[in-house]
Amino acid sequence: MAIATRDSHEAREHGGGHGAQRYWIVWALLLAGTFLTLVLSRVHLPSPFHLLVALAIASAKSMLVVLFFMHLAEHAGAPRLIFATSVFFIVLLISLTVLDNATRFPLINPGRGPTLQMEPPGPDILTPRGPPAPAERIDMPTVEQEGRDVPQPPPKPEH
Amino acid sequence: MSQFPATTPPSPAEAPAYNPRNYLNAEPGIRSWLLTRDHKRIGLMFLVLSGVFFFVGGVFALLVRIELLTPGPTIMSAMTYNRMFTLHGVVMIFLFMIPAIPSGFGNFFLPIMVGARDVAFPRLNLFSLYLYLIGAGIALYGMIHGGTDTGWTFYAPYSTTTITKVVPVLLGAFVLGFSSILTGLNFIVTTHTLRAPGITWMRMPLFVWSIYATSIIQILATPVLGITLLMVAVEHAFGFGIFDPARGGDPILFQHMFWFYSHPAVYIMVLPAMAVISEVICAAAHKNIFGYKAVAFSSLGIAFVGFFTWGHHLFTSGQSTLDAGIFGVLSMFVGIFTAIKVFNWTATLYKGAVSFTTWFAYFCGFLFFLVFGGMTGIALATVSLDVHWQDTYFVVAHFHFIMVGAVIMAWLAALHYWWPKMFGRMYPERWGLVGAVTIIFGFNATFVPQFLLGNYGMPRRYYSYPERFWPLNVASTLGATLLGFGFLLILVYLLWSLKYGRVASANPWGSRGYEWGTLSPPPTENFVGQPVYTHGPHDYTEGAVQGGDVPPGEVTHAV
Amino acid sequence: MQFEAYVAHHFPNLRQQEHAARIGMWLFLATELLLFGGLFTAYSVYRFLYAETFAEASHHLSVTAGTINTVVLITSSLTVALAHHLTQQGKGRAAALSLAITLAFAVVFLLIKAWEWTHDFEEGLLPGRYFHSAELTAVGAPMFFTIYFLLTGLHGLHVVVGMTVLAVLMVQCWRGRYDHGYVTPVELGGMYWHLVDLIWIFLYPLLYLI
Repeated sequence: MAIATRDSHEAREHGGGHGAQRYWIVWALLLAGTFLTLVLSRVHLPSPFHLLVALAIASAKSMLVVLFFMHLAEHAGAPRLIFATSVFFIVLLISLTVLDNATRFPLINPGRGPTLQMEPPGPDILTPRGPPAPAERIDMPTVEQEGRDVPQPPPKPEH
Repeated sequence: MSQFPATTPPSPAEAPAYNPRNYLNAEPGIRSWLLTRDHKRIGLMFLVLSGVFFFVGGVFALLVRIELLTPGPTIMSAMTYNRMFTLHGVVMIFLFMIPAIPSGFGNFFLPIMVGARDVAFPRLNLFSLYLYLIGAGIALYGMIHGGTDTGWTFYAPYSTTTITKVVPVLLGAFVLGFSSILTGLNFIVTTHTLRAPGITWMRMPLFVWSIYATSIIQILATPVLGITLLMVAVEHAFGFGIFDPARGGDPILFQHMFWFYSHPAVYIMVLPAMAVISEVICAAAHKNIFGYKAVAFSSLGIAFVGFFTWGHHLFTSGQSTLDAGIFGVLSMFVGIFTAIKVFNWTATLYKGAVSFTTWFAYFCGFLFFLVFGGMTGIALATVSLDVHWQDTYFVVAHFHFIMVGAVIMAWLAALHYWWPKMFGRMYPERWGLVGAVTIIFGFNATFVPQFLLGNYGMPRRYYSYPERFWPLNVASTLGATLLGFGFLLILVYLLWSLKYGRVASANPWGSRGYEWGTLSPPPTENFVGQPVYTHGPHDYTEGAVQGGDVPPGEVTHAV
Repeated sequence: MQFEAYVAHHFPNLRQQEHAARIGMWLFLATELLLFGGLFTAYSVYRFLYAETFAEASHHLSVTAGTINTVVLITSSLTVALAHHLTQQGKGRAAALSLAITLAFAVVFLLIKAWEWTHDFEEGLLPGRYFHSAELTAVGAPMFFTIYFLLTGLHGLHVVVGMTVLAVLMVQCWRGRYDHGYVTPVELGGMYWHLVDLIWIFLYPLLYLI
């Protein structure tokens, strides 16, 4: 049942009719966005904003690619729903996972002292490798300390 | 008079006719099967392959249960036991449960139900079958070389450091994931673009709605599993340390990413079961479905809400209490959509003319086990209760109630309901009922003791246990043996019926499903001429069959 | 060759088939997005935990190389879009040239990436347990490079796959196969390439400009 229809041919001419200019314009906008994000990254914005600004510019650039290079602006219906749904679920995955790390009991987050002092497990998984001897332990970061990076262990005392 | 598809089945007066020119004998030879683009052949091959792996997984299950017959070592060492339950999980989930109903029955019947000649991308369909075989082969290679002992959940950091052959099993699962993705892709596009004239979205069979919802989950969730397993394999091979606490990694990150797929995965398993039941219930009661839109949209609801709940697997892992609270509440919402379906199915039965066939027996099992399994799921979603039940046999019993009690019962119902359509032969009804009773009793005997065991505190995946758990474990193993016999019985009589079963007519159940309008077995092109549909999918109102008992096998008024 | 020949037996007409092919491609791209989404999740978690270290480690990447690569990929997206446009107008040979330029850009991208990676290997900025750097001693530094190599590695793999697809399309365009109204393969191949560009648009600020 391979009945070809003429309207597909006409649709094609119609689709090609708007000219290639819009692609060049989108290209220029994408380059401008790249330049903008580079410049803004050099300006030291306060902590959450430099990430938000970078993400906003990246999102705008991607919308340009998706809408015009990938023709989503011309095809209503299923493709838009598919794209929007996948973006939504990526955001869901990332946000709830990071929310977990953000609201955990602080000592459970990785990068804490005693865990790092342990040797990584090797092939001999059954031999326990416990926490380090008291002399080599480093202090827990207290609540007042802002950074989550762990201070380095004190140099080993000369025996 | 309502009009069914153009190919009218033989009238009741004629003897049942086995369609001589059907998809099974259309092209002879193995080459024609290996290179086929016919969705029915591909579906059948998926059914056979997944059935074989079902038995393999069942053997692993029986070995596990035999080991648990005594508190100490029974037939194997602890290391072997770990491999047994891991392989049971891996084989059952990735090689059987995920593909069985969608890739098997979905491939066979979805195009027929929407009036299409094939799925949207037949060659891609064949490719997904080959991906299934390749993934199975890679995983089998790993199994033959000792398998892995991490549990099917591959938790880091053990999975990244174990000396067992975890990498082939991971890569096998990765490839199987792509088989699943391509099947889902095909079904979504088929549903969107290949519906015959007259089949609008609101006139699609409910089977199609649920398979469509399943396909959405397959597309969105499976890639996350893929990247997660890939990361574990890479870390195992190279020690990059992404999940390793000693290198600043977070093992709970693995759990988040793993369960982001694996929770929606259970809906990939359950939604097709519900798809089958929605089809079967109307044929059983000879009545229209109660609340078509509710059942249709609740499928989408389950698919959607299922993505919001993965953290309930991490309640005791160190997840934050805020996240635990959020996930606990969101997990309750899935129960709403399942309840909508259960109420609608029950209401469909009300004042219906039920004929008690084998597949209706499986429906009864399905309904009770879905409700009880689901309720224990809601109980487990309560954080304070889960703290006690997590990683005990309570959880094991809960998910087996759903996976065996609901999904496998639905799979068996589908097998028996559609057996005459697929093969043109009836299975022996009496033996079918014996099999159903054996399965249901065996199932109860296996898993109800496990609820009790879990409540008393027996941990899961444990090789040995205190003596006070001994009697219940023995009971569970006896039940598993009965269950095993039940499945063997079903296999035997089904295979017997392929050659010696009574020849079936086009519509032995008097069902108004669209697929019953073609011949049994269907011809390769599904229909003769373009099918035209003028009434709804489960519509029993026009030219309705007479009430009362319709003995199975009798040809009833079909058009 | 008339385009009736392109319609498969189970589709009623070519437009329906093209519509189906497009939906199918968007679904496949959705899976690719989710695939990278998993890696972006890992990135987000570790950037949250090791914010300052990530920023410090990011300075050890060459912003120049990253910026040039971004410009290269964006321009290659333009040439792919132009190639599709040209096939729609039946200009197969011009489209093939445009695809050839795209491939050239892709090669440039990979060469710069290779240079970057070699440079990182020399400085000891390797993933996980192979990391050895005198300057970066904080905990999150090896993790940054693990994520960096995983993300750019997977992305590079997709670039290679995209290049293969575009090369095949280029040859077919040159032979005039898409001059008679059936341009779907070029559209779909182009969509894959745009996805590769899309992912890099996010990788660039998240890896190089922290």
